Amino acid sequence: MFISFVFYTLAAVLVASAIMVISARNPVHCALFLVMAFFSSAGIWLLLEAEFLAIVLVLVYVGAVMVLFLFVVMMLDINLAPLREGFARYLPIGALVAAVVVIEIVLVIGASDIDLPAVGDIVYRDADYSNTKELGTLLYTVHLYAFELAAAILLVAIVAAIALTMRRRSGTKSQDPSRQVAVKREDRIRIVSMPSSSDPEHESSERRR
Amino acid sequence: MNAVHSLWLSSLPALAEFFLLAAGCTILVIDAFLDKGREAITCRLSQLALVVTLALVVALFPDARITAFDGSFVSDVMGGLLKIFILLIVIVGLFYLQAYLDERGQARGEYFVLVLFGSLGMLVMVSAGSFLTLYLGLELLSLSLYALVALNRESPLACEAAMKYFVLGALASGILLYGISMIYGSTGRIDFAGVSSAIGDASSLSLITLLGLVFVVVGIAFKFGAVPFHMWVPDVYEGAPAPITMLIATAPKIAAFGMLIRALGEGLEFLFIDWMQMLTFLAIASLAIGNVVAIAQTNMKRMLAYSAIAHVGFIFIGLLTGTPGGKAASMFYVISYALMALGAFGMVIWLGRKDGVGEADRIDDLKGIIERNPWFALMMLFLMLSMAGVPPFVGFWAKLAVLSEAVDVGMTWLAVTAVIFSVIGLFYYLRVVGLMFFHAPERSAPIVAPNTVRLVLSINALAIVAFGFYPDLLMDICVRAFPGLMAGQ
Amino acid sequence: MIQVTLWAVLAPLIGAVIAGIGGRAIGRVGAHRVTIVLVAISTILSIIAWYRIVVAGHPPIDHTLYLWGVVGDLEIPIGFLIDELSVTMMVIVTSVSLMVHIYTIGYMKDDPGYQRFFSYISLFTFAMLTLVMSNNFIQLFFGWEAVGVVSYLLIGFWFDRESAIRANLKAFLVNRVGDFGFLLGIACLLAFTGSLRYDEVFAMAPALQGQTISLPLTGGAEWSVLTVACLCLFIGAMGKSAQFPLHVWLPDSMEGPTPISALIHAATMVTAGIFMVARMSPLFELSETALSTMLIIGAITALFMGLLGLVQHDIKRVVAYSTLSQLGYMTTGLGASAYAASIFHLGTHAFFKALLFLGAGSVIIAMHHEQDMRRMGGLKRYMPITWITALIGTLALIGTPGFAGFFSKESLIEAVHHSQLPGSTFAWVCILAGVFVTALYSFRMYFLVFHGKERMDEHTRSHLRESPAVVTIPLIFLAIASLLAGGLFAESILYGTFFGQSMMVMPEHDVLGEMAPAWGGAGAMMLHSFVTAPFWLAVLGVVVAWYLWLHRPDLPARIAARFSSLHNLLIHKYHFDDLYENILTALGRRIGSGLWRVGDMRLIDGLLVNGSAFSVGRLAKVIRKIQSGFLYHYAFAMIIGLVLLVSFFVIVRL
Repeated sequence: MFISFVFYTLAAVLVASAIMVISARNPVHCALFLVMAFFSSAGIWLLLEAEFLAIVLVLVYVGAVMVLFLFVVMMLDINLAPLREGFARYLPIGALVAAVVVIEIVLVIGASDIDLPAVGDIVYRDADYSNTKELGTLLYTVHLYAFELAAAILLVAIVAAIALTMRRRSGTKSQDPSRQVAVKREDRIRIVSMPSSSDPEHESSERRR
Repeated sequence: MNAVHSLWLSSLPALAEFFLLAAGCTILVIDAFLDKGREAITCRLSQLALVVTLALVVALFPDARITAFDGSFVSDVMGGLLKIFILLIVIVGLFYLQAYLDERGQARGEYFVLVLFGSLGMLVMVSAGSFLTLYLGLELLSLSLYALVALNRESPLACEAAMKYFVLGALASGILLYGISMIYGSTGRIDFAGVSSAIGDASSLSLITLLGLVFVVVGIAFKFGAVPFHMWVPDVYEGAPAPITMLIATAPKIAAFGMLIRALGEGLEFLFIDWMQMLTFLAIASLAIGNVVAIAQTNMKRMLAYSAIAHVGFIFIGLLTGTPGGKAASMFYVISYALMALGAFGMVIWLGRKDGVGEADRIDDLKGIIERNPWFALMMLFLMLSMAGVPPFVGFWAKLAVLSEAVDVGMTWLAVTAVIFSVIGLFYYLRVVGLMFFHAPERSAPIVAPNTVRLVLSINALAIVAFGFYPDLLMDICVRAFPGLMAGQ
Repeated sequence: MIQVTLWAVLAPLIGAVIAGIGGRAIGRVGAHRVTIVLVAISTILSIIAWYRIVVAGHPPIDHTLYLWGVVGDLEIPIGFLIDELSVTMMVIVTSVSLMVHIYTIGYMKDDPGYQRFFSYISLFTFAMLTLVMSNNFIQLFFGWEAVGVVSYLLIGFWFDRESAIRANLKAFLVNRVGDFGFLLGIACLLAFTGSLRYDEVFAMAPALQGQTISLPLTGGAEWSVLTVACLCLFIGAMGKSAQFPLHVWLPDSMEGPTPISALIHAATMVTAGIFMVARMSPLFELSETALSTMLIIGAITALFMGLLGLVQHDIKRVVAYSTLSQLGYMTTGLGASAYAASIFHLGTHAFFKALLFLGAGSVIIAMHHEQDMRRMGGLKRYMPITWITALIGTLALIGTPGFAGFFSKESLIEAVHHSQLPGSTFAWVCILAGVFVTALYSFRMYFLVFHGKERMDEHTRSHLRESPAVVTIPLIFLAIASLLAGGLFAESILYGTFFGQSMMVMPEHDVLGEMAPAWGGAGAMMLHSFVTAPFWLAVLGVVVAWYLWLHRPDLPARIAARFSSLHNLLIHKYHFDDLYENILTALGRRIGSGLWRVGDMRLIDGLLVNGSAFSVGRLAKVIRKIQSGFLYHYAFAMIIGLVLLVSFFVIVRL
């Protein structure tokens, strides 16, 4: 009973903060609501005794990703007002479609009285049972292939991110000390032999050239 | 020791994939140490890696179905054949990519490395044994493609295309993943064999499984670019650099075919009636929108995009018959389509070369090609007629095979619809032919290209003709991929 | 062996592709060198094949190269049937084609479409070889249509002349009528035998004899399947071989360059119909109705088309009508089941008619593209080689003993005389009269061109000279062939084993078999001819021609005035063109314009094309709105699609 209470509370907070993420005016608030949503889902995972996943969610998403996100949002100072102009215009139809989706999912779930026979009941373990170790065992045996692939995906993400951001912009003014030190006389001065005559006409034609 | 040994043995069927992964990492490191301007080396190394992978696929070609990694990896005849064609197409595509980048001075090693990882993703997709590996393969492919489209940061069009592709692709991935989670929830299994037996054993069909199926179909339809999940196709085809468009338009279609067979044909085979109806809907919509809207296009790449959408309709028609013959016909179709698209985009690339930076991708740029380069015009004629489905080119046999399978299972109305729309589609292919042969060229500069590109392109177009005269060469292969056919007849 | 024949077919195709696509790159000289060398290769290979099959006696080859496609139970093979008949045709086609290739160098010297022309004639050679070497109906039909297309292209080769465009359109349309029949015939055979391969169809033919089909529009009468199929096939042959009443396109086809008239419209393509019927002899033999039809149609063509040659003034048109008449002879021979004689006449005719055309071309070159015989005359002084060769051709044409045409034509007439089929007597009388007519118009042309007063203007006369060697050498070669081809092969073709088993004749129709005992050798035949009617009719024709056009040149005009109605009938070609033009075409046009006004303008243009263009435009607008470029529109469309799928396929199952 208590568990149900906690679950519904967390779920309500999760949905509410998710809605706020897309509707709040201030981008910083959006990011903070997202943090809240992550915390709520971490709580739900704790209810399922998936401690490792809950902690990882908090550590990785809240601790690293969202902080980075906030950092970027604050640094860039995005003005969201123009982005939101269409919001009111598209709200009715968007809300309609969202409502249809929700109704359909509710209908489906309601109709199949959700007992999920294949999964079975939750087995509550003793305190010394290590969820992390179980995960590790699975990850490195049954799902080894998938694990390797996930690593490859991360590698691609890194390569893509670096390749997309690391580029030389033309027109940037930066100093390169090694080139400054290595400079030679020939690089800087050019000796031009000038005609000795001071004929103005010749000079002007020379200049024109 | 023993466990490690058995793990090594059991992973042997996936040796090609592992080699490609290792090669990709190695080439990435080698590229970092190469001077600027030496990207050709990276390209050749990548092609070498793909050739070795191809050799490994051939060497490890399975006689029967083998699984590895607890069923998450499947190696069978169909997978092997699809892999061979995917690798061949990517190897050819790299020739174009390298020539294109070289001419424009945009060559970067990352292009080739990303292509390698994308190919790995495709290989994983066609031999996926569970929803998990299928999804990971798809993501590996998609991420590489997003990055490839965006890699030329100087082009706003490419960046916009990449952005659209990325966001919509992420949405589609999310939908697919949501569907997978529903199926996992209702069956408790993630591997295709387990899901299939769970659905088969269940006394009644869970609606949640069905809902999951819809989401999975949407994810697959997005990858194919079927209407109404096609919106990304024209924009991405147009925005991406031509050789990248070529890579998006050809090999991933084959991989998507493998993905559809694995997920729907193997995992959700007991829901055939349901996904058959969905595919029918998608097929008709794709045929209609693809063929009609293609007429209005003025950009060659956009036109080919809509033509691709229309071709997807045909591929679906073969699959929704549900017979092994229908699957074989679809496989024939997807492979021949990939070959035709490879040639057609090769033409666009070749044509654009003289202009240096820009791409000659307006349909009007094809005007009077017969006068600028008759050989080019002849090859393009073959490709366009083949795409339109005119005998004796391979495209005709592909359409014929698919339609006759549809008629065999009593879906004559669908076949008739498809024929009507492909007659409409004939118009825009013939318009290209008309422009090439009966209009004065806008520019008189002859078209020049490196010999490799010329050779590859000619071989490609002539292969279309050769398969047109000997369709059985390809058809026999496709029939072998679906053994039920031989047993059935 | 199969390699030999394969390359014999492919060589001209390669030449056509090179000259067609790379024409500009290899230049004029390159184009003619490449095509001539490749056609020469083809000729040599054909002769090798001919030698092996006919002389060395190798068995015929029926080889399927590969299966092009399988549709249900129907196999569509690509293959060759190399037997005595096809190798003979191959030799005729390639050797005449080679001569024409060489001749073209001289004739088309200053034409801007030089490479295009060589590409076309090489392509034609390829198509014709495919036609004659096919072992199945589909390939036959392909070759049949391909030669038709090239013929169309070549008649309209000078596409800036309106008359040429009209002529090629006419040829195309008239041939469509024939091709429709041909296709129906193939379809009929396919429906009843389920096969497209000759050997299978022929094997099943006797079993079809009893079967009947009831055709619509014939009051439910039952028709023999074979008769229907053969008549349909023969309609195809009538179109291609210009038999009455589908003959109207051939005279007009003379708008094309002269080498084409020689190659396509005299020697090879127009004989495709004759060849096809001979090839289908196992079918035609089983239908006496079809044989009788051929006898009558052929005889009508032979006599009445020859008469038209008497009033023509254009030198090429006279030869064209003569071609029509000779094709009529061949058809009559087919009707009498004397297939060997017909093919024999086809072969000899190919040589002497090509010779006459090329000779006419040579005259035309010398006359600066003047084709009216009323402005010629006395040319033998200026063009001795052309004169001699044309004389040989003319003598061969009228069947002078010893010349090639004599043996084939004489045997053909004799065969028809022996035939017991209904209509054979009529046919015999017609073609016998045709001999006189042939001699009359041939020598009319000969005398008008080479003898008599020099009627050309002074400017032309001053430039008259013999044509260059590339023109005269083919003439000489063809003249030799016209002299010798008859006597050398007469015995083995007509009564021997020249054609082996390639053509089938039923014992009761075997007219040549009946004639065989009377054969005493070529010399005896020549001697015997002096007491036969055809010889004296021919002599009479020559004498009359000499009297009318050389001795008393004023007489023809007076005769024309005296029998003005008859003359008018001839001038107007029996009003066939008027008939087609004013009745059939007008009716067609009326229907067409009616359909155009109602169907096209209102329904198709208004509703479908413009309507669909309009609706496509509307649709495009709508789709452009969806395809707005805005990301969230796209995402929204995807969600809508998802919702639709869920609604249609999940919610309905609740």
